Amino acid sequence: MRKYIVLLSIVLTTSVLAYITTYLEAIGLVGLDTRYLAKLFLTLAYNPLARELTVLSPEAVTSIVWDFRGIDTFYETVVFYMAIIAALAIYRGVGYPSIRSEKGLSIIVKVVTKLLIPINIAIAVSVAAHGHLTPGGGFQAGAALAVISVLLAVVFSASSFARVGVSLSKAIALRTVGLLAIAAVVFVPVVFNALTGVQAYLMQNYVKVDSEFAFPTHIQSQLISGTLIWFNLAEFLAVSFGFFVVFMLLSLREDVVREQLGEEHGH
Amino acid sequence: MDVTLILLALFSTVGLVFTYLAVVEKDLVKAVIFSAIQSTAYVAVLYLLRAPDIVLVYLPVAVGLYPAAILFLIGKTEKVEEK
Amino acid sequence: MRNMDTSFIERFLIVLTLYNLLVTAAISLYGIVARPSITKKIISLTILGDSLNVLAILIGFRVFSVPPVLLKLDANPDELLNLAYSAVDPLPQALVLTAIVIGLAVNLFLIFLALQVYRLYGTLDSRKIKELRG
Repeated sequence: MRKYIVLLSIVLTTSVLAYITTYLEAIGLVGLDTRYLAKLFLTLAYNPLARELTVLSPEAVTSIVWDFRGIDTFYETVVFYMAIIAALAIYRGVGYPSIRSEKGLSIIVKVVTKLLIPINIAIAVSVAAHGHLTPGGGFQAGAALAVISVLLAVVFSASSFARVGVSLSKAIALRTVGLLAIAAVVFVPVVFNALTGVQAYLMQNYVKVDSEFAFPTHIQSQLISGTLIWFNLAEFLAVSFGFFVVFMLLSLREDVVREQLGEEHGH
Repeated sequence: MDVTLILLALFSTVGLVFTYLAVVEKDLVKAVIFSAIQSTAYVAVLYLLRAPDIVLVYLPVAVGLYPAAILFLIGKTEKVEEK
Repeated sequence: MRNMDTSFIERFLIVLTLYNLLVTAAISLYGIVARPSITKKIISLTILGDSLNVLAILIGFRVFSVPPVLLKLDANPDELLNLAYSAVDPLPQALVLTAIVIGLAVNLFLIFLALQVYRLYGTLDSRKIKELRG
């Protein structure tokens, strides 16, 4: 009961404070105007008229994530990569079990899950591949696909990963491939510069003022926005299999892990 | 009068209420469920703030993956918080 | 849009949302600092991250707006300018997007650490862990 009195007083205090702040006009333009920089990003994200400045993607958020602030995102992907390496380091020496007859939930849940998984994969790939046109992209698709790993672990038990063909080393390799693919796309303009002598910059997407280098922006009149689609697909791979690794390890039975980690872990 | 702002204030209040319930709850499984409800309210807030990109990434992460990961942790460790 | 163009109640609702998010962050901070269970600390930490991310997006929000996505590819200059003057700020959204995914990875690492603490000490109560040390 005391809990709810405290809760009510918190909500009321917040409301009264907000009322007083508004009445005194202590906070000015919250949520009423955006900055000049935002207007710049919004006009330049897709603007065929400003040829040297645009990204050619109608999605402003993806444009910022992978072009205007692309280096930031690349390093953030590296941070993500390192965080999962740190998690893996705790589980060093733990082998993942091969197929065993462990039971999951009931048959009804299993059949429904089997129907859901292809839909989930289709949504994830669609979100990744349309990231430069509609809301979505590599991070979103990766998070959507990671849900499958939780479904597999909870509904079918930990041994089901081997049955669908995902082993721990394969997942680690695939997320490394994702990160390397991003790095490869970053270095394509530099290699192009070295081979042909045409001016090109690291992580360049579309033509710049003093550089005519540009990734192909269309495939058969379908807009792919240069590097954005490749970054999105690579990031999709890196994020989704990074989470696969983590949830595969989390779903391991505790007694199995302790046995493999050695005697000093008993208490 | 825009209904967006009313819903914004409403859902952020729901998030506040369930955050408090999650923090004071002794039963950790219940706390995770309260936290998931708070996340659902925030999904609505983000949608109303015109951030479809964030909704797409936040929905699986905060409603699906966080509770699942913390439930795995609770399943392997302690179920209640002692006072 | 100026302050006087909006009514009192509209400004009140936005300020209320702002305060709700700040108080949510404060409560979750209390959860991180004052609750003994490490699991509860991790739950509070996820809520703290969520509320601050939403706060960042609220900063970029503006009333009567559209999402920052251009809806047609053959837009003329007027329509492009129209988007710039009617859409929300995309920059906080782009930063929060990566922050959420990295936050998840870091919190998962913390969950692994908590598991390891339980393996070594047999408890997740931070007070008991303090006594066991040394």
